[in-house]
Amino acid sequence: MSSADWKNFEPVLIPNVKDLHKIDVYQENGGYSAFKEVLTDKKKWEEPKDVVNEVKAANIRGRGGAGFNAGLKWSFMPPADGGPRYLACNGDESEPGTFKDRKIFEYNPHVFIEGALIAAYAMEITSIYVYIRGEYKDYIDMMQKAIDDAYEKGFIGENIFGTDYSVDFYVHSGAGAYICGEETSMLESLEGKRGYPRVKPPFPAQKGLWGRPTTINNIETLAHVVSVINKGADWFSGIGAKNHPGPVLYGISGHVNRPGVYELPSGVPVLDLINDVAGGMRNGKELKAVIPGGSSTPILRADQLDGVTMDSDSLREVGTMLGTAGMVVMDEDTNMVDMLWRIAHFYHHESCGQCTPCRDGTGWLEKILLKIKNGNGEVKDLDLLLDITTQMEGRTICALADAAAWPVRHTINRFRDEFEARCKKSVHAVA
Amino acid sequence: MTYEFDEKDLKEIEKIKAKYPEVLPATLPVLWLAQNKFGHVEPEVQRLVAHTLDLPEAHVHGVATFYTQYYKEKKGKYVLDVCTCLSCQLCGGYDILNYLEDKLGIKAGETTDDGMFSVEEVECLGACGYAPMLQVTNGKYVNNLTEEKVDKLIETLKEGNEPEYEQIRMPLRKVN
Amino acid sequence: MPEVIIDGNQYEFDSDKDGSLLQFILDEGLEVPFFCYHPSMSVPANCRQCMVKVGTPVKDRETGEFELDENGERVIRWFPKLQTSCNTQLSEGMVVHTQETDDLVERAQKDTLEFILANHPLDCPICDQAGECPLQIQTYKYGPEGSRFEVKKVHKPKRVQLGPRVTLDAERCINCTRCVRFTDEISESKQLTIVQRGDKNYPVTAPGREFDDAYSMNTIDICPVGALTSSDFRFKARVWEMNQTPSIDISNGKGCNIDLWTRDNLVLRITPRHNESVNDYWIPDTARDAYTIFNENRVSRPSQKLDSEQVQSSWNNAFATLAEQIERTDKDKILFVGSAHASVEENFVLMALSNLLSGSAPVFSPHIIDGAGDDFLLSDDQAPNTNGCRLLGLNELTSEDLSEKIKKAELVLLLNDNLVDREALQSSVFGNTYVTMFATNKTETAKQADLVIPITTAAEHAASYVNVDHRIQRTVPAKETKYSNRRLDIEMSEGRLDRYGTSFDNWVTEENKVDCLPLWNIANELSDRLGLDLRFENSRHIISDIAEQNPSFEGVSFQAMDERFGIDLTSIKNRVKS
Repeated sequence: MSSADWKNFEPVLIPNVKDLHKIDVYQENGGYSAFKEVLTDKKKWEEPKDVVNEVKAANIRGRGGAGFNAGLKWSFMPPADGGPRYLACNGDESEPGTFKDRKIFEYNPHVFIEGALIAAYAMEITSIYVYIRGEYKDYIDMMQKAIDDAYEKGFIGENIFGTDYSVDFYVHSGAGAYICGEETSMLESLEGKRGYPRVKPPFPAQKGLWGRPTTINNIETLAHVVSVINKGADWFSGIGAKNHPGPVLYGISGHVNRPGVYELPSGVPVLDLINDVAGGMRNGKELKAVIPGGSSTPILRADQLDGVTMDSDSLREVGTMLGTAGMVVMDEDTNMVDMLWRIAHFYHHESCGQCTPCRDGTGWLEKILLKIKNGNGEVKDLDLLLDITTQMEGRTICALADAAAWPVRHTINRFRDEFEARCKKSVHAVA
Repeated sequence: MTYEFDEKDLKEIEKIKAKYPEVLPATLPVLWLAQNKFGHVEPEVQRLVAHTLDLPEAHVHGVATFYTQYYKEKKGKYVLDVCTCLSCQLCGGYDILNYLEDKLGIKAGETTDDGMFSVEEVECLGACGYAPMLQVTNGKYVNNLTEEKVDKLIETLKEGNEPEYEQIRMPLRKVN
Repeated sequence: MPEVIIDGNQYEFDSDKDGSLLQFILDEGLEVPFFCYHPSMSVPANCRQCMVKVGTPVKDRETGEFELDENGERVIRWFPKLQTSCNTQLSEGMVVHTQETDDLVERAQKDTLEFILANHPLDCPICDQAGECPLQIQTYKYGPEGSRFEVKKVHKPKRVQLGPRVTLDAERCINCTRCVRFTDEISESKQLTIVQRGDKNYPVTAPGREFDDAYSMNTIDICPVGALTSSDFRFKARVWEMNQTPSIDISNGKGCNIDLWTRDNLVLRITPRHNESVNDYWIPDTARDAYTIFNENRVSRPSQKLDSEQVQSSWNNAFATLAEQIERTDKDKILFVGSAHASVEENFVLMALSNLLSGSAPVFSPHIIDGAGDDFLLSDDQAPNTNGCRLLGLNELTSEDLSEKIKKAELVLLLNDNLVDREALQSSVFGNTYVTMFATNKTETAKQADLVIPITTAAEHAASYVNVDHRIQRTVPAKETKYSNRRLDIEMSEGRLDRYGTSFDNWVTEENKVDCLPLWNIANELSDRLGLDLRFENSRHIISDIAEQNPSFEGVSFQAMDERFGIDLTSIKNRVKS
């Protein structure tokens, strides 16, 4: 199905089925058959690595923001040696503008559980942890219930479907830290520590949780595995954009009439998402700018959006990224200085403080922007801001510094007039 | 005052520990358990957690201060975490925060004299499509806030009732 | 041997031994700035200061040979980002550009320093760390010219008494986490943690808890800024006003290697000196407290008991009195008591006197407290030279036996050992015995003596000590006595003041010189008066004499000890046996 044909797309991750979160309803709708098939149909799935290959062929690009081929990531796991191996499912969802995985927890938790179980089997994993941000208290409870139900049905636990495959599945709650969405920081948090991202190498596939091989996948990424098994890699890779295929949970927020999470093929035109899917601009205002995939992805001006589609290739051409597909829409009244200061404030608040450029850079960015916002800025401050972003980017253990730097650089570059005007209006005290 | 875990808590803690191959990972869940029981994780409670798990006190302290949801000091009965981050800012999060501050007569970070309410300005809570919004004491989300809805929430809480879980349906996907 | 190319120069490395690129660079005598890395601890790579550009040669998959370009040069695949050299592992053919040859690397290091300094208070003029501060030094070398940080700095707790011995200034902290890693990995007290996050974070103990780790002060040394300072030493002296002299800890049998820091003939602080075979980079806090024994309560000028009261005497009087006492006492009524708290050389000199004057070797009573030590750098043995006494052949006695011996003697010559203070002896045992003590400090024991002759401490003489592991190590004089002179004493180490100072330096005074002599000097004087055939040149000669006479010390000399950072005597023993 092409991206242009998105209006005819039937959701697979969160179909419109009443009470799908209940395990019986999920099963009535074909649930857990994919998991059963990979475990028991030895003709089709001779070995676990056949599953890895199928998922690799489907090219599910990680939905957590990095966009790495999930099957390829799975193939990095070293051969099983009889010791414990882990799957850590990333439900930390904290990037401003992103609110999609909670929909899976609420409406179709079992598609995620089943996907995680298939992934675990494919990588010969012995324990699964799902890390959910602490603020999602209600969804944590929902997930725990769903997991308990799946244990009861025998989909999780010892000798699943009478095979010799056994796996455990646990929920781990975060406690308020954006950085724990970074995969190695999440591992540290799971291990009960302060969420400091780890130095790589070693990569988690070599040394992850408790020093053992570990794979980390986003919730939505794992949920997609089920339809890949059910409908085949070709079906999945045939949906939407060629290099970033499959259905995507788009989160649309900001100044639109109908914000929310929509499941559509990848590669939907940005303007279609705003004008059709989300019901157009609120109060009939003009569109001013869009952040396409969470607060770290570079902002686009309205005049940059013609023909731009929500996939990695198209977005790269206009100098931004798909990220988490959490789109933030801004109307003509939006003050870019205030908006950018708020983003900078977020990253300053969330920097773990481990690496120097991020710890001291994020604060510096915010303080200069606050100065400009408060009417005390000078034009030279804008160049200093740009300089600081260059000094931060690519110099730290994890990507938080990059995530803090990009919006500052691109918002200033793309709305320079507005920033300069604010600076020139500033009144400076004369000594 | 001295804080203690009872038999039931200790059983729960054993269950938590069983989820992990070592004790350290129990730090976060047991801090949660303690906060749910005592309402905060002040230093005395952190110490209790450390001793119960036989972990260094400094470790528990370091963890407690890293994560924002743990209350390192006593808070009001209801903690109103108002999101003002990106989408909420765009949709009037600061207006809601200011309204709430005026209504309760306190600033963000403060607690009302009667100990009922604390107001906090918080970062993105992952409800961007339902902005502006707030969270009540690490629990229920209250979405699409208006001044009227804030008034109603405060009334509900004052009456001693918890807010209801607001289910937000997946919006219609087909638009023609 | 595999090779690595750094700034265009080839270096061979040992793939078994060399791992970290940064450590290799340092070992080769090159420099890349860094803060968080420490060779004895885990590598968090968090300061981001040691950035370099790294590339690896491309290998042909089939042949395993390096691919060559049209000029016959190896094709290098560069890492897309700069790498922290601390956690970069050396590999065959790796190509490295440091700040010396790469502008981007130079810029990155400058950028990181600008970030570090953004929230740093820049209070070097009042900071104890100034002068030995890696941040200060590296800022001068690699940092930005000025500051572009014109907004408000983060404020954090200052003057926090973390524990009895360590003071924290959280604003100076650059979050390298060395102190936290030290308590996690080295001392294992796990008393410290980083709290908060982002630019608000800093190291501290759990609320209401003291940082009373027996090794707490090592965090002061490894702190790369002035965030952790010594509560005791704070504001006492600037680093550049002091002389730094290598020495050996005499407060415990472990023999930790230390540096004595002196000014105006006072020892102001003690810091660890690296010795992989003994104490690595660390010393217990008690070893630092020991500096007071060099300064305070010193015996200066001999004193004699007159009407049961000690009064100051002259050297001439003291020698005359002692000679007279020796001459008038029967040989078998004279008892020489050696000391595990004194050096090999001092005990040897005493032994020489003892053999001539009493006809037998001195006795000594070890100072061992069972259970007082730990598994790390504190041994049960509280004295620095118990094994030295044993190897010299002194007669080891229990304190009871020693008491009996003393009671029977008429004249006791006691080498510096505070037997009464450490409750090895009751003061009553001395009874009518005439006691001469060669003492450094005015202790309870010294008070019992009829004649007190002041001798030099480990801070004032060159002398050797054999530790609990049979390692012989030596001290170097660090401060002058009334009769020594920095510039004339060949044993004395040269400090910055000696090299560059003048007599007009207004911070130098000639005070605090103790009126005491090395024991060998006293022995010479005594042998002159008694007509003995005994003559000592200096400690350097004495240890060579010992090495010639006593097979346990074969091959030992100051020079050998200096070259090998001390000598393991068990290896000599084994060699002698075989």
